[in-house]
Amino acid sequence: MTIISPANLKRLFLILIVAAVVAIMTGTPGSSTASPTTGVHGSFMERVSWFGLFAAPRWLLFLTLGVIVWLLVSLYRPRARTIRQGIDHVLAFPKELSSRKPTRVTLIVIALVVVILLPKFVHESFWMYLIVEQIGVWILLALGLNVVVGFAGLLDLGFAAFYAIGAYTTAWLTGALPMPALFHHPIPTLWVIPIGILAAMVFGVLLGTPTLRLRGDYLAIVTLGFALIIDDFVETQSGVTGGGVGSSPVPHPSLNVGFWHFHWGISQTPYYYLCLIFVVVFIIVFTSLEHSRIGRAWVAIREDEVAAESVGINPLKYKVMAFAVGAASGGFGGVMSAGLVGIITPGLFTYQVSVNVLVLVIFGGMGSIWGVALGAIVIQTATSYLDNYQPWGYQINDLYMYIGALLIIMMIFRPAGLLPSRRRRREFAMAEGGEEMHTDEVLSGEQP
Amino acid sequence: MSDATEDGVSEVVVTENPVVGNDLIISAEHLTLRFGGVVSLRDVSIEMRRGEILAVIGPNGAGKTSLFNSLTGVYQPQEGSIIFTPAGAAPLSVIGKKAYQIARAGVSRTFQASRLFMALSVFENIKIGAEDHRGIGLVGALVKGPGTRRGEHRSDEVVIELLDFVGLRNEANLIASQLSYGARRRLEIARALATDPQVILLDEPAAGTNPSEKLELAELIRRVRDERGVSVLLIEHDMKLIMSLAERLYVLNFGSVIAEGSPDEIRANQAVIDAYLGSSHEEAS
Repeated sequence: MTIISPANLKRLFLILIVAAVVAIMTGTPGSSTASPTTGVHGSFMERVSWFGLFAAPRWLLFLTLGVIVWLLVSLYRPRARTIRQGIDHVLAFPKELSSRKPTRVTLIVIALVVVILLPKFVHESFWMYLIVEQIGVWILLALGLNVVVGFAGLLDLGFAAFYAIGAYTTAWLTGALPMPALFHHPIPTLWVIPIGILAAMVFGVLLGTPTLRLRGDYLAIVTLGFALIIDDFVETQSGVTGGGVGSSPVPHPSLNVGFWHFHWGISQTPYYYLCLIFVVVFIIVFTSLEHSRIGRAWVAIREDEVAAESVGINPLKYKVMAFAVGAASGGFGGVMSAGLVGIITPGLFTYQVSVNVLVLVIFGGMGSIWGVALGAIVIQTATSYLDNYQPWGYQINDLYMYIGALLIIMMIFRPAGLLPSRRRRREFAMAEGGEEMHTDEVLSGEQP
Repeated sequence: MSDATEDGVSEVVVTENPVVGNDLIISAEHLTLRFGGVVSLRDVSIEMRRGEILAVIGPNGAGKTSLFNSLTGVYQPQEGSIIFTPAGAAPLSVIGKKAYQIARAGVSRTFQASRLFMALSVFENIKIGAEDHRGIGLVGALVKGPGTRRGEHRSDEVVIELLDFVGLRNEANLIASQLSYGARRRLEIARALATDPQVILLDEPAAGTNPSEKLELAELIRRVRDERGVSVLLIEHDMKLIMSLAERLYVLNFGSVIAEGSPDEIRANQAVIDAYLGSSHEEAS
């Protein structure tokens, strides 16, 4: 195949368009009122240094980058099959090894040792904050949503609601809300954990029972509505929730067993372990659920609800169950957050939170517990790092633009997610028309 | 046997096939099913005897699948009654029940366009059918007590027995989507049988299969009745298959029953010939 073929030139054109968009995205912002096009102009005309070597206008930089990418793709394509086979060949042995039980157990033990010792190595406060508040809490949320979206196949756009319920239940029972605590008797934060989980599950059942008769898009809209109601409620009912100002500080949890007293304080480390224990517990519970009768019933409903019903599965019951189970870890995430952050405000439970959790699940691999955990680690690390250090002219407002681009790229190259579950990968492969379409075929738009 | 005296046909059937009982396992009376202004079933009455292979035929759009969906609780007819009488249990009114309740009571089915769990293995497909979906609580599924383990063991045994029965033992670990059309049909029958039904409703089981697969399917359907004692109600377009398999037929056209009888009677019935070939009285417009 020659490099100058119509298909290949079309690809060059597409790549250059993408490069131009990236140039605008990363370029200088325009001043909105006086001259709105300065941003676009600057994005192309500004002179930038090439890694300190020489200076050139940005359009030249991006043009060169685009051509380089195009050349790489053109070189890769004729050899794509050989390269893929080579990679498969190299990966065959590790894959086979990792599917053996002793290896898996060893890997899990090593991973556990690493995560237990992790706070010993991490000294910078940003990284500790990242691990506990950005990764720990979000893994809990993502694991919960994974049960709903990944296992049972129910699109839930309002998962933040359960997070909020966990957090506000904690604040209420510990006496941090304007509304007096239950029986006017605040209870210790640690005791709230089971109650907060239970409250979220009860709300899961209450929301699920009437709404889970709906399917697909309709369900998504209703869950979105539910989340907005909760969000609105905590925002406006300042007599109950403290409104936009938020709650009074939720006391840090403390544990008193006989003579042994332990107090969670400002330090993140104890929270890390609390979170770790629950993440491990939820992973164990969700894994064994996935491989139980309930897990199989979820798969059946996800794949074909009518067929599932024809073999005696009550879809509503199992969907409500998925909602409740998922809500449990979301609720605990809320309890954790409340204890950790102290003052909880409605801003923590917006619609963006629901979307973000969904992004973690989709990115990591729907239905795959390890994938979702990995997705949470990768995305949360990246976003927190960008927010904190703001490298390469990154602006906080642009975050969702990059996440959107990332998801689009994911959908093209790895639609089932970073670490997909086997079943889900098959489902995606079949949705694409019976056989897996390869990435380069997608790029060039060739019909298989 | 008061019903059977009305038509000599059924008496003949009864003497030919000792498997067929005289009591009705499904009795649907005066079913009318509408979707808005469209009448899908019009005053349809069907009687199915225990242990028989009964077929429903008719041109496209005659209401065959609507009838199946009404019998299995997917659709709720506006008028009429459906009584299902399981062996050794009280009769059950189907209308108003949910599809899963009817499946649990002992009426199982397959679908016109096969609806397998395509991303699951053959084994898992049947296992989902074999499992008892009634009394599972979260705790029961998590804490694998002796009861849960016994249930798992029992359903695994059912799956293996059914894999042998439909001849998919060697394909047990394949993914459903990897199977040929004929094998998919057999898998769907196996999944339906896994619920331990008394009646199985097969919606065009031979659609999309080749001639040799058709023969195998006919043989399988006969064995479902003979070896497992499951009554079979069947929709099919392949006339050769149906005439060799069915003991009695109902013919539907435009939502109404236009004929009922043995294969020979149906073959000779003028209304049926008209329905399939167009009647000579009709104006060519």
